[in-house]
Amino acid sequence: MSKWLITALAATALLSGCASVQRGAIPVVEAGAPVSDGEQVAGGGNYRAPAPKPQAVTQDSGVLVMVPGGSGASSAPIQSYPASSGPIVGSVSGSAPTALPGPVTEQSSPGFKVIKSTVPSGIPNTAGLAGDEQLDGPVLALLTTAQQQQSSGDLNGASSSLERAQRIAPREPQVLYRLAEVHLAQGDAAQAEQLARRGLSYANGRASLQASLWELIAQARERQGDPAGAAEARQQARINL
Amino acid sequence: MTRSRSPRARPKRRSNGFHPFLGWALKLGLVGLVVLAGYGIYLDAVVQEKFSGKRWTVPAKVYARPLELFVGQKLTKNDFLTELDALGYRRETSVAGPGAAVVAGNNVELHTRGFQFYEGLEPARRVGVHFSGAYVAGLTQAGGASLAVARLEPLLVGGLYPAHHEDRILIKLEQAPPYLLETLVAIEDREFFNHHGVSPKSIARAFWINATAGQLRQGGSTLTQQLVKNFYLSNERSLSRKLNEAMMALLLELHYSKNEILEAYLNEVFLGQDGQRAVHGFGLASQFMFSQPMSELKLHQVALLVGIVKGPSYYNPRRFPERALERRNLVLDVLAEQGVVTPEQAGIAKKQPLGVTQRGSLADSSYPGFLDLVKRQLRQDYRDEDLTEEGLRIFTSFDPILQLKAEAALAETLKRLSAGRGKSVDEVEAAMLVTSPETGEVQALIGSRQPRFAGFNRVLDAVRPIGSLIKPAVYLTALERPSQYSLTSWLSDAPFSVKGQDGQVWKPQNYDHQAHGNVFLYQALANSYNLSTAKLGLELGVPTVLKTLERLGVSREFPAYPSMLLGAGSLTPMEVAEMYQTLANGGFNTPLRGIRSVLTAEGEPLKRYPFQIQQRFDPGAIYLVQNAMQRVMREGTGRSVYSQLPASLTLAGKTGTSNDSRDSWFAGFSQDLLAVVWLGRDDNGKTPLTGATGALQVWTGFMRKADPLPLDMPLPDNVIQAWIDPRTGQGSDPSCSGAQQMPYIRGSEPTPGSACGIQAPAGEVMDWVKGWLN
Repeated sequence: MSKWLITALAATALLSGCASVQRGAIPVVEAGAPVSDGEQVAGGGNYRAPAPKPQAVTQDSGVLVMVPGGSGASSAPIQSYPASSGPIVGSVSGSAPTALPGPVTEQSSPGFKVIKSTVPSGIPNTAGLAGDEQLDGPVLALLTTAQQQQSSGDLNGASSSLERAQRIAPREPQVLYRLAEVHLAQGDAAQAEQLARRGLSYANGRASLQASLWELIAQARERQGDPAGAAEARQQARINL
Repeated sequence: MTRSRSPRARPKRRSNGFHPFLGWALKLGLVGLVVLAGYGIYLDAVVQEKFSGKRWTVPAKVYARPLELFVGQKLTKNDFLTELDALGYRRETSVAGPGAAVVAGNNVELHTRGFQFYEGLEPARRVGVHFSGAYVAGLTQAGGASLAVARLEPLLVGGLYPAHHEDRILIKLEQAPPYLLETLVAIEDREFFNHHGVSPKSIARAFWINATAGQLRQGGSTLTQQLVKNFYLSNERSLSRKLNEAMMALLLELHYSKNEILEAYLNEVFLGQDGQRAVHGFGLASQFMFSQPMSELKLHQVALLVGIVKGPSYYNPRRFPERALERRNLVLDVLAEQGVVTPEQAGIAKKQPLGVTQRGSLADSSYPGFLDLVKRQLRQDYRDEDLTEEGLRIFTSFDPILQLKAEAALAETLKRLSAGRGKSVDEVEAAMLVTSPETGEVQALIGSRQPRFAGFNRVLDAVRPIGSLIKPAVYLTALERPSQYSLTSWLSDAPFSVKGQDGQVWKPQNYDHQAHGNVFLYQALANSYNLSTAKLGLELGVPTVLKTLERLGVSREFPAYPSMLLGAGSLTPMEVAEMYQTLANGGFNTPLRGIRSVLTAEGEPLKRYPFQIQQRFDPGAIYLVQNAMQRVMREGTGRSVYSQLPASLTLAGKTGTSNDSRDSWFAGFSQDLLAVVWLGRDDNGKTPLTGATGALQVWTGFMRKADPLPLDMPLPDNVIQAWIDPRTGQGSDPSCSGAQQMPYIRGSEPTPGSACGIQAPAGEVMDWVKGWLN
């Protein structure tokens, strides 16, 4: 009687000892490294392009049809702004919230405004996106943070800071430009192009920024295997400079 | 343990030499010893295994958006203080440390608590906020230098609980506030630092007290025993369990330090029940009772929490405040008695109120609708166990201030409608969704007219006919063809009928059963005329319109029946928001998101849900549709908004009403806010509400509270503003009386009219005046 009781006890002790040990090691098995590549597309619907390219092309022509050739500018080299190098210069300006525009906006007659691209000759090639930029304190601070993160290789952190800036100033094209730039560095050329396009829609009257946005679109198109589209975008970049 | 083999042989050999009884006793004794030893080994394994591994599973924590502070931010002082209250900031006379705030006129000085975000650490620091009107006019740091941007820690709005609903916030011993450890030891186990897991002294004392009192007054359990009981054992009361407990307590003390045991105790102890959720540990209890992090608790709060340990439901301070107060003061007396605090300190603490926050003011799971959305989005990426056990930190875009405003607008409007339109309104259910049109982030969500009630989430699951909400898709389709249509194209609003493929005749009607003759395209949308819209839609082709709907972001498929043109198709409020988001955001579609990022329990970045956009429409066409949707508000079916909102606030939107007023919809947006409201009955019965008299009223009430920015879409390069005669649609000139500006895609505008007669005389008058002055 005592014999089997002992063995049974020993066995249970052993078994329960063994059986339960594995418990401690349940790691989060989620998508690999924390600060790394695979920044996946947001959960919900990843609505990919019901009407992508042709739509895009017609829009481009819609936006800037009136521009004459642009052949004159072709000699000037297009500097691709290494935006992460240059300092972001900004001045504090009255922030958007106070404006009370009606359906008819102030710039009611933009006319053929694209042509007016009086090349801001004072801007040296190296000066990041300085020239025409008017940035608010918080946006400037966050862009600086993002730039530091980007140069230390933390691209996810940089996009996250940029999205924070975007929430503060959703209509600041410079933020969208930087965001596009980070997406391009992360290898998401399609999204980079879209972000740059959104940036363009807010960049009226900021010629050098428009040029860099077009240049970024050109690079994004090259990466997507669309040299013709890239050339077209480069053309726009030149016109805007 | 190596000895366990040899004793087995011995009794057998010696049994015949001894007295049989003695032999049996020895045998039994030895067997007992062996059993005990074996059992001891087993218990030891159990004790060590659970204590050294991952001791607790922790549910994922869901956080609201952190409130950003910067100069120029639209934020009223009141909203700011609401946020501070929800975060458990103490109003004090001087800013002593994290979690303190001083309010003086339009200035608020505070010491933030700091927080680990995806982008990095937000430090705890002193911040001064100066308000002017509805804006932050100044932001300073300690010393008065200006600060570019800062943010508060995010509000915890819920968790993702496993079946047993045990919740906790894990804390470290170093985070314990002053007096907590001393108080705990003084009240629960005076000998804690002297005994080895079991305290004979305490047992004797407890026995004595219980015997003299004639009832079970006091347990002799040490903190270690209590921990063992909660951590390893069931709730049964028996001698064998008591023995188990004692053995395990001894074993635990053998292997682990007093501090480790104390820290485990602080995290394990049960301190209250919140609906289905069991509140464990001082970390969570501190949030649950006071909305404050544990490290900030003051003496009187510490005394209350420690007092509750004895009987969390009996001393529940929300249900039985007198009992809890008495218990707390008893604890304070004991502390003074034992010299942990001075009698004066105890006296001051005893004068404090309980200080427990209102249940539901922010408390966990107050926002079941939004949490439901978060859970569904998370389940696409995580297993359930990851969500309920790993203590993940989920950062969302939820804005508690907007949520409270939406809830208030809904409740007030329903009350008013009920008073005005009778009892039938009481049967009406509701759903509401607020997003940021520029980022696609969901900021507030109400799934039921009782927003605290977790149940059918109508924002996500109620699929209802959208009625006229579809019309912007029809008009957008037309305006994408500037060579054929402009805002001032003439449409015929006249009765007609078409024969469908199935042979059935479709004969649309206007809401007022009138035909309106020839109308401008924008007027047909502004006034939501059905006849002209249906006719236009048929010209464009039903499949083409449905294609536009798809490009706007609606993934649901519809049959190409003509009745689709007037909104016979059904969508959820969430899908409607997706569709209108594209209209609001210049033709760029972005999937609506509720989650920004996920961090591990240790604060390591795990995953981000990035902003994604895709251009789907020409900005020019969107600009024109927005213009027509602004006219809905200025002169059309939505014009009642301006009886409550200032005329300077440009808004765009659309009413929707399904047949027999079964569904009352409104979807609309400002520059920074998009809101969709649905009212209707779950049984699909008739209501007395149209889109304009029902949903729009809730929407208006919300916008009035939220005070949004006026809509201001930048003029696209291919759009020009032309002067027209508003009666004929012909080109005009600003000098002509009644001339209006109207946007056109460049090239589709009417030829400019000549200047009107008054213009020339005006110059002559000036000359005349000049001459007269000379």
